[in-house]
Amino acid sequence: MIPLLLRVLGHEYARPVRRTVALMTATAVVEGLSCALLVPVLRELFGDSPADARPWLVAFGAAVAVYAVLRYISDLSGFRSAVSLLHGMYHRLGDHLARLPIGWYGPDRVGEVSVLAGQGVLQALSVIAHLLAPSVSAVATPLTIVAVMLAFNWQMGLAALIAVPAVAAIQIWTGRLMAASDTEPGERDREATGRVIEYLQAQPVLRAGGRTAERFDLLDDALRDVERASRRTVLAAVPGALGLALAVQTAFTGLLILGAHLALGGGIGAAELLATLVLAARCADPLLSLSEIGGRLRSTRSELARLDALLRTEPLPEPADPVRPRHHGLEFDSVAFRHGDRTVIDGLSFSLPEGRRLAIVGPSGAGKSTLLQLLARFHDVDEGAVRIGGVDVRDMSTEDLMARIAIVFQDVYLFDDTIEENVRLGRPGATPAEVRAAATAAGLDEVIERLPTGWATEVGEGGAALSGGERQRVSIARALMKDAPIVLLDEVTSALDPLNEAAVHNGIERLMAGRTVVVVTHRLGTTRHADRIIYLDRGRILEQGNHDELLRHAGRYADYWNVSLTGASAAETPRP
Amino acid sequence: MTATDIAETEERPAAPDAGPRPAELLRPYGGGFAAIVVLQVIGAVAGLAPLLAVAELGRTLLATGPIDRGHAWAAVAAGAAGLFVRLLCTSGSSFFGHLLDARVQLSFRRRLAARLGRAPIGWLSHRRTGELTKVVGADVSAVHPFIAHTPGELVSAFVVPLVSLAYLFAIDWRLTLITLVPVLLAVALVPLMMTPARLREQKRFDEAMGGISDAAIEYVQGIAVVKAFGGGERAHRRFVAAADGFADIFSRMVRGLAPLGAAMQVALSPPFVLLAVLTGGTALITNGSLAPTDLLPFLLLGLGLTAPVAALGHGFDDIQAARRAVGRIRDVLAVRALPEPAHPVVPQGHRVELRDVRFGYEPGHEVLRGIDLVLEPGTVTAIVGPSGSGKSTLVRLLPRFFDPTHGSVVLGGADLREIGTRDLYRTVSFVFQDVRLLRASVADNIALAAPHADRDAITKAARLAHIHERILELPRGYDTVLGREAGLSGGEAQRLSIARALLTGTPVLVLDEATAFADPLTEQAVRQALTAAKGDRTILVIAHRLETIADADTVVMLADGAIAERGAPADLLARNGRFAAFWRSIATRGDELR
Repeated sequence: MIPLLLRVLGHEYARPVRRTVALMTATAVVEGLSCALLVPVLRELFGDSPADARPWLVAFGAAVAVYAVLRYISDLSGFRSAVSLLHGMYHRLGDHLARLPIGWYGPDRVGEVSVLAGQGVLQALSVIAHLLAPSVSAVATPLTIVAVMLAFNWQMGLAALIAVPAVAAIQIWTGRLMAASDTEPGERDREATGRVIEYLQAQPVLRAGGRTAERFDLLDDALRDVERASRRTVLAAVPGALGLALAVQTAFTGLLILGAHLALGGGIGAAELLATLVLAARCADPLLSLSEIGGRLRSTRSELARLDALLRTEPLPEPADPVRPRHHGLEFDSVAFRHGDRTVIDGLSFSLPEGRRLAIVGPSGAGKSTLLQLLARFHDVDEGAVRIGGVDVRDMSTEDLMARIAIVFQDVYLFDDTIEENVRLGRPGATPAEVRAAATAAGLDEVIERLPTGWATEVGEGGAALSGGERQRVSIARALMKDAPIVLLDEVTSALDPLNEAAVHNGIERLMAGRTVVVVTHRLGTTRHADRIIYLDRGRILEQGNHDELLRHAGRYADYWNVSLTGASAAETPRP
Repeated sequence: MTATDIAETEERPAAPDAGPRPAELLRPYGGGFAAIVVLQVIGAVAGLAPLLAVAELGRTLLATGPIDRGHAWAAVAAGAAGLFVRLLCTSGSSFFGHLLDARVQLSFRRRLAARLGRAPIGWLSHRRTGELTKVVGADVSAVHPFIAHTPGELVSAFVVPLVSLAYLFAIDWRLTLITLVPVLLAVALVPLMMTPARLREQKRFDEAMGGISDAAIEYVQGIAVVKAFGGGERAHRRFVAAADGFADIFSRMVRGLAPLGAAMQVALSPPFVLLAVLTGGTALITNGSLAPTDLLPFLLLGLGLTAPVAALGHGFDDIQAARRAVGRIRDVLAVRALPEPAHPVVPQGHRVELRDVRFGYEPGHEVLRGIDLVLEPGTVTAIVGPSGSGKSTLVRLLPRFFDPTHGSVVLGGADLREIGTRDLYRTVSFVFQDVRLLRASVADNIALAAPHADRDAITKAARLAHIHERILELPRGYDTVLGREAGLSGGEAQRLSIARALLTGTPVLVLDEATAFADPLTEQAVRQALTAAKGDRTILVIAHRLETIADADTVVMLADGAIAERGAPADLLARNGRFAAFWRSIATRGDELR
């Protein structure tokens, strides 16, 4: 448990954790030893001059004072290390999540990561803050008391000692028995969390289908599975808990019988026997609590194991000696990329000189967005190489690569913050004047004028408070702020209505000026001004060339073009 | 229900509903709870038997004169029997308690989900997904101690001390009071843990935890942006800031609570109890007012006295957390659904009328300012207008995501508020821009709004929406689970949602920017499919493309929440007003295209 904990937390935390464990053990031992003073006190009280018990009582008091101080210090140390761990852990998790490839983030991940980052980390740390002390004292105090018993009466001590391996064996056996069923509730919880998120986000559609909670089986099944899993865990825990209780209580009964037998035969003094039995009674409760603590430790363990797995997921490898490209021409060299079984990019090669524009067109699902993501190294290619200025993107540092690329996505994601902060994300140190200039260029200024709270408007979760066109302007301003030499545009205007499209058009032109640009588009207006057009289908280049060449070729691109034309000319003359 | 929810409060003048009390929620399980408590109490009281047996054994051994062997062994036997009863009863209580817990949690979660499924979309859109997810998940789990532990422990914490105290009082009242000192000390510390400052810290702690959950969801969803703009490896600062804030609050809370917690633990610890009893006992024995053997029951039962209190104190954090969780659960359960009509009216036909409709998300800021509009069956009405003019809000009133703040939306002669939900959704379907696909099979995703559709109907709808071929390419065709076995691109998801709407076959269809993502070939095909399916349907569409606008029977030009112009597209062009200007601005782009 502790090694796993330390691996997850990072070994720089080993020392405070070890110190805390040592303090807690010392506290528990002092607690047990102070109880040992019961024997001399009782001996004097049951003897001829009860007043002789006083010096022993003073010693007892001193021992309790030492115990109290130790308890406070070790509690505080536990909490302190929990806080510093919490801090370190979140930073570690945050940094790691940023380094994982985008491909890792499937739809399942949102629920999983949010549970891990919220409850998971907390539970892992509650090990130190709340569970460590009781579990250490549940073990160390009874052991100390057994040692004390051995010192006063070897028969009784030996009898108590026999219980030690029995209790230990049962704990280990329970742990093994539960290992399988302990992970299940966690899995079901995560599944259900994902479903709840889905259920909430899909409310509009679900309502349209008359799918209320009772009739939305995906969620209800997930909730029922949570119940079933927890019932199975309860059932699986029965033998262990019963076994432990049986062992502890049998041991106590045994001591009682043995003690009575010894005392009746004169083999032990009444004071020793009674003190021993009082101490034994004292041991029973913490030992019984072991089964509950064990259960909580195990469920924490599975949480820790998941955190460990997450932190051990390989991020995209960083080069040892990063190379800095000297220009910004782009090159795909026999690139293949697979997503699961599906080949998304299939032996793709092309090159684009610095400062030129490349347009990618093709049916949806052809791999257009993936191509952009490979350029920005959201994934690593399976075969071939993607190069910027002749340098493989895998040989560049992530920081350098990201600094050279500005991306505008099809579905704009804004952070739940003000408009200003979302724009500033492009260059955190920018002056207000620079932010304003980018906003004007992106056509964002008129949006801001319309909003009652202007720049300080909160955009809501994912940018929900803004319309699609407004979000897109924010993201263009963000990209303008970044002022990167390579610009990637992913269907930037396809979700916009004509007015919005016209409004962001200027911003996009500003963004593209003088830069190396790759644009994925359905709107064929954009393609005409591209230096080069690639028609992509099923991850392969079907046709390439400039606009006029492709039209002359009279292939798929020309079909596309003609369809757009007919649509537009039909529109030119509205029906009477 | 928070005070900030002004729009909500306005909608219902009735007294705010505090939500069902926890006791009401638990009433159906009363029998189960009673059994758990009874078992726990029997077990706890039986647990006193071995302690008394030791005391009795001590008395027998220390008695002057010959030792009564029979009495000694009887005491031992009674102790062993008590232990056995305790074993059975407490195990049984815990076992049934946990089973009951699982059932109660399921019923809580179902009720929450049902309530959230009826809450106004407007209310949902003001809440963060993370916050609500936490209520259904973690908060319900946090109620665990209330159900599985607290009732039994609480009752034992009263019954066991009462029985013990009665016994001890009969022996010596002075020493009984001394034995009580540790417990009283511990109890005296409780109010210190519940000072307003402490409670405030705990509330902040909970909020901060919700904040981390939100930040994590946002972080994962926005990861592409984080990667592109986050300066490479540096984690998004909001996530880190939420975490730092949480760590701060946690350490502040701990600093306040740690001394109290340690003091409480020491007061209840066996050495302290023994010390108190021994000190008092020594004084009494020395002055001859207490028989040494009478000290034994105090030593033994004194330890037993603190155990239940310690158990309560041990779970104190959990109970506090559970109470706060119950509060949040009640808040959600208190949310009123959009009111269902007492006497639902069935719409006659599917003519849609908007009569002087006004609507604002917040008071004082109207998004729609008096819309009068009639949508005739068999016609297509296209809505155009600059962004922010209220187009999206307008079309969302038809499926009753919100109720207008003034005026009414009338469908087939009946106000939407008088139509039952089922009837409404059998009449109106919609395709909105934000397509949500579920982690479910393709077929289930298409049939989401028509749960009883058979495979033929699903395939037919998919063909009409030009997504059939693509679906067949997926690993397991229509049975492929999206998001797990395969993903769809934006355009594909869009087409799937069109198939969804076509499958429901409702007479009123509302489209928002629906065909925008699709590529030109698909877009053309989908438009043809919609036209073919048009028939007698009432179609309202937020139009983006010249083609759609030109094909519409009526165009409505919205500006700043009001209708600026309306009429047939050709007539409007001829009028040379705002629509004509709008048209030309697009046509210029169209020319550029040529």
